[in-house]
Amino acid sequence: MFFRTIFALIIINKAGGLIYNKTFHEAGLNKISTNDYLVLAGTFHGVHAITTRLNPVKAPSNRTSMQSGILTRPDPPSGLEVLESENFRLQCFTTLTGIKFLLFTDTTQANVDLTIRRIYEMYSDYVMKNPFYQLEMPIRCDMFDRKLLSYIREINNR
Amino acid sequence: MVIYSFYIFDRHTECIYSKIWLPPTPNPPPPPPPSTNTPTLAPPAAAHDGTAPLPPAAPSRTGTHVDRRSVSAKAGDDAKLIFGTVFSLRNMVRKLGGEDDAFINYRTAQYKLHYYETASNLRFVMLTDTATLSMRSVLHQIYINLWVEFVVKNPLSPVEHKGGVGVKNELFELGLDQFVRGLM
Repeated sequence: MFFRTIFALIIINKAGGLIYNKTFHEAGLNKISTNDYLVLAGTFHGVHAITTRLNPVKAPSNRTSMQSGILTRPDPPSGLEVLESENFRLQCFTTLTGIKFLLFTDTTQANVDLTIRRIYEMYSDYVMKNPFYQLEMPIRCDMFDRKLLSYIREINNR
Repeated sequence: MVIYSFYIFDRHTECIYSKIWLPPTPNPPPPPPPSTNTPTLAPPAAAHDGTAPLPPAAPSRTGTHVDRRSVSAKAGDDAKLIFGTVFSLRNMVRKLGGEDDAFINYRTAQYKLHYYETASNLRFVMLTDTATLSMRSVLHQIYINLWVEFVVKNPLSPVEHKGGVGVKNELFELGLDQFVRGLM
C-alpha cells in the first residue's frame, strides 16, 4: 500500500496544452508516454469545459446582489474539481487566469487543496518571476523543479 | 441529499433512460427553498431576497410550448454531453490506474456526478449535490433490484433497448421514483 502519497503533477495552460509533467512516485500510476500525457491534457481540458456546462443548478443569469452596499456577482460555475477512482484521486485547481494544476494522489490523501495552493505559490515565485520563462510555454525552471521536489518529498515521507 | 438527475446508457453509447427530478428552470434556484416564483413574478421575488428589481425576463413572452421543446432538446443535449464526459474520464482513469481501475465520481463546486458500470457495459450515471457521499452502492442497488427485476426479467422486453424501448415500463419507473424519493 502506498499510504498518503502524491503520485504526479500536471500543469495545463489555458489553451489545453501540457506545460509541466512530473511523476513523484513511480508505482502509483501506470507509466504512459509523453505523447499520451499531451493527449490526456487536451482531453481533460475539453472534459473540464463540458463539466462546467453540465451544471444542473441554474443560477439566475446576470443577477447582481447587494451585500452591505457592494454589488456582488455569484461565482461562475466551476468545472471538475475532484475526481475519484478506485486507485487514485485527482484534484484539479484552476487559477483565475485559466491554468489548471492537476495533482494525482492516493485515495486517502488529505489536505490536497492546501498542497495544490502551495504549488501554485511556487509556480508564481519560481516560474512567473523567471525572466526567461515565456508564457504558455513548457516550464523548464531548475529552481521550480528543486523546490517542488523537496516539498513533495517532505509530504510523501511524512 | 438532493438528486438532480439519473441516466442509463447502453453499450452502444445510446441514452436509453433519463429522469430529471428538478426541472432546470432558469429562474428559481432549485435546491433549498421550494420557491414558487415564475418568470412573470420576477420583480416581487427579487425584491423579497434583497436584490435590485429586474425587468421581467424576455422568455416569459414566448409560448410555453416552445419553452418545453427547448427544455427537452436541452435534456437530450445534456445526456450526450454526460456520456462524452464519463466516457473520456473512464478511459483516462483506465489508462492511468490500470485496466482494473474504475472511475467512481467527480465533483465540481455545484454538483457531483456518480458513475457505475456493469460488466455488460451498461452505464448508470447520477447527478447529485456536492455534499452527497458515494452513491456507487445506490447505483448498484438500482441495477440489481430495479433493472434486473423489471427490465431484464420482463419477457416482453427486447434485448436491445433502442430509444428506451422496454426500459420505460411502469414498474421500473415507479420503483425508481420511489427509491430515489426515499433517499432524498
